[in-house]
Amino acid sequence: MLMTLIRRELLDNLMTFRFAAAVFITLLLVVANTIVLLKDYEQRLTAYNKAVNESHQELREEKTYSGYAGALIIHRPPNPLSIFNLGLDKQVGNKIEVYHAFIPTMWDAEKHGADNPFLNLFTSIDIVLVFQGVLSLLALIFAYDALAGERERGTLRLVLTHPIQRGYILFAKYISAMLCLLVPLLISLLLSIILLTTSTTMSLRADDFLRIGGIVLTSLLYVSLFYLIGLCISAMTRRTSTALMLCMFVWGVLVLVYPNLILTAVDIVPQPNTQISVYNQIKQMWEEWDRENKRFLRNDAVLGPLSRNGEGWGFRLKGVEYSFAPSEDKPSTLLYFYQTSFYAGKIGAESEPQVPLVQDYYGFYNRETINTVQRTWLVRKPALEAIYIQPANLGRMLLRFSPGGLYDAATEAWAGTDLDGIQDFFSTVQRYRRAVVDYFYDKKIFESRQWFAADKGTADWDALPQFSFHRSDTGINAKRALPDMLLLLTMNVILFTVIMLIFIKSEV
Amino acid sequence: MWHIAKRELYDNLNSLRFALATVLLLGLMLTNAAVYLHEHPKRIQKYNASINEALTGVTTRAESLYTLAQEGPGLLYKKPSTLRFCAEGGEPFLPNVVGGTFLWSSSGGLKGFWRLNYPSTSPNLTDIRPNVTKVDWAFIIGYVLSLIAILFTFDAVSGERERGTLRLMLANPIPRHTVLIGKLLGALISVSIPFALAVLMNLLVISTSSTVQLGADAWGRLGIIFFIALLYASLFLALGLLVSARVSRSAVSLVILLLIWVTFVVFVPSTLASIAGGFSSPMSTDELWQRRGELYAKRWERYDAYFAERVERSKEIQFKGEHVIAEAEEQERVNEEHLAQQIAQVKFARGTTRVSPIAISQHLFESFAGTGFERHLQFLENARTHARQFRKFIADTDSGDPESSHIIGIREGMSEKPVNPAAVPKFEDMLNLSRDFNAALMDLLLLVLLFVVLLSGAYLAFVRVEV
Repeated sequence: MLMTLIRRELLDNLMTFRFAAAVFITLLLVVANTIVLLKDYEQRLTAYNKAVNESHQELREEKTYSGYAGALIIHRPPNPLSIFNLGLDKQVGNKIEVYHAFIPTMWDAEKHGADNPFLNLFTSIDIVLVFQGVLSLLALIFAYDALAGERERGTLRLVLTHPIQRGYILFAKYISAMLCLLVPLLISLLLSIILLTTSTTMSLRADDFLRIGGIVLTSLLYVSLFYLIGLCISAMTRRTSTALMLCMFVWGVLVLVYPNLILTAVDIVPQPNTQISVYNQIKQMWEEWDRENKRFLRNDAVLGPLSRNGEGWGFRLKGVEYSFAPSEDKPSTLLYFYQTSFYAGKIGAESEPQVPLVQDYYGFYNRETINTVQRTWLVRKPALEAIYIQPANLGRMLLRFSPGGLYDAATEAWAGTDLDGIQDFFSTVQRYRRAVVDYFYDKKIFESRQWFAADKGTADWDALPQFSFHRSDTGINAKRALPDMLLLLTMNVILFTVIMLIFIKSEV
Repeated sequence: MWHIAKRELYDNLNSLRFALATVLLLGLMLTNAAVYLHEHPKRIQKYNASINEALTGVTTRAESLYTLAQEGPGLLYKKPSTLRFCAEGGEPFLPNVVGGTFLWSSSGGLKGFWRLNYPSTSPNLTDIRPNVTKVDWAFIIGYVLSLIAILFTFDAVSGERERGTLRLMLANPIPRHTVLIGKLLGALISVSIPFALAVLMNLLVISTSSTVQLGADAWGRLGIIFFIALLYASLFLALGLLVSARVSRSAVSLVILLLIWVTFVVFVPSTLASIAGGFSSPMSTDELWQRRGELYAKRWERYDAYFAERVERSKEIQFKGEHVIAEAEEQERVNEEHLAQQIAQVKFARGTTRVSPIAISQHLFESFAGTGFERHLQFLENARTHARQFRKFIADTDSGDPESSHIIGIREGMSEKPVNPAAVPKFEDMLNLSRDFNAALMDLLLLVLLFVVLLSGAYLAFVRVEV
């Protein structure tokens, strides 16, 4: 009996104009946007590869170890799944320096490669956004007359005269509509995956297909939720045109109005104004350390006379070519540090006895710098979280009240382009910085002659620990996506129960 | 005709959709006003602080004409528009400042001269909040009002046919075009009522606040924006009538309308812009740096070649001055070229989005609200004009000093007397209504044309309707 009902509903739905239009529009939009997104991804990948090579060479050109300031640069590869959900992949910087005098965060990152900043004026559309807009609309279009239409035409009465439970009828309608909605979803996804595999630069791994599977599953939950919303409206109204109009208002509010309205309104929430005080605190820590350093230089029996009035530069070594002070001063991202160093081309023979003293000094100076960095990090990390992450999380939390927000968050988590996915990269960079510092400690590079002079052996960059970043396991993606998917599922179940109650109680 | 319009109006006023539209528009407009009142004073405060900082910089540099000329007038800031609540125009993505650098100094005791320099990265790199289209008038009108317009007309003809009242109406001796125009007017008025109410509330909230003052010019602009909004809404009303006349069932009519709407309003602009943006690839930032480096090296080669043999003192200063000025001009030209290529790419992409009426209306709102891309171009033009004025001022002041040898570009050749800081030209970013109107005329014409086409389509469809 159930099968008969499903077959009837399926045939009813499949032979309609709206079904043809739905498939056509979804296909058109998905294919057009996949081509655009693929091209964009390829461009970003080329820019990434070029930037990696350039940075590799630039580092090799540095002869002294201290020259790695501003030369040891890590690039963030574009995420191939960003085609499905762009998330933060393009928005956040993808070029970050690794240096012992600061801890790299995503706010210190810059952008490599060709990028016309004005193009940000146009919103970029990813596949999930197409589904979010079009499939939800289609689900409502399929649902609005499911019950109201039959009631209008009088066929509902006819069906109910048969000895069938009302729940079965609802279930059959639900299953057949979902099967119909699956068609545009799967065909368009298939086409876009075919397009992706024809690309030579794009390589999808086996676990990427698992992630895409997760995205499909989430899409199904999302579409089904909208179908149920439509069904609910359809069960409550008498006339189809009223049902459709109500559906459209609900769609407009849920998909279009609510997300933008709530994110605009959230700006009114007062934000912690700790930025300046924390920045000053960090600056003070550095200045304190600088004073201590100068005092040390002035009072140290051996180094004192070597340094000019407590400034470390040069140490009166013969052959010093220039001094440099890498520094950053960005109040907006609470970044502040400076480092003094110098480059000695060829140290004169008469200065030779002083070289070990300078080496010792740099061992001390760099060790203390790293300690200062750790001290400032204790202040900087929570402040950055309060300034940037908390408002972002608040916005994302409020978005979850709309199914679109849940869908977006879950697919972002699957694709790995969400905040967590991006932070994975930056915590890998932070660990890498630690590894580099540990390597420098181990090999006593901070107190080596190669730190500032290149005359007796130059820096060996090939022995440096290599940076490698792998996107997180599918399991972790699933774990991050799960809460949102469960919420979607719960909403589905609740709505289905509500519809059941309304439908069972309704008079024909 | 008025009779039909009135009937339509009464029909609509009592309907559920009218109530829903009113609530939706009011909620959106009030949020818009509240957010604007919260943000705008901060923006103004920040702008004033930056301006003051720039002025202090000029005062310190004015101790010597040479220093002023070499280090330049400081950062030039874009003035925030008072009408930003009408159209955000992607302002957060656009730089609000044009800088200048003078850091390209090198050997020979020469310091590079100030030249215009444009920021090359997007200013919102640190923003990790979810993407959002700000709820401004352009959003409310572009998306919500158009959707409401469709919901008001989808059953205008097909619904009457379904109910059988169309036959009754056409039995009266009224020409069909009168019926059509009457229906359009009725729908337009019933859409305008909630919209006008929402706009009124929005402006009421904004104008009662003490922090924001709207001048006569701003009210004029608001009036124009209101009429463009009505034109845009009638575009969708005409589309609704067209589809409604062609289709026999109103539900089918709404489905078709929605599919058209979602394609053209939501997806076409961004998709087309991305496709069109891919056609040209402007000079990248890396290439820019490379070109600048090459030019710089070549310039210094010429410098070194000149001084390979002994040169007399007067000629030496002359050459050094020319060298510094030429270097700055060359670099500025490359910067301009880079910027021009970026702008050309965006202009082309924006041009192609005109296929969609929402993009046209967005451009119009932006140009009348004084935000967005065209406004940014105006700001860049203003900055360039200011740079010319500033250079002229330097040359004039220098020629007024008898002790100077009038060789701009080098300390020895220029006046070193202090300058009155008040006499230095101040940068003020201006908005110009007549210019905006010229730029917007094409978009306005397109919108009118589209409306006429749709309306005649609706007329033809309606004339052929069999009852």
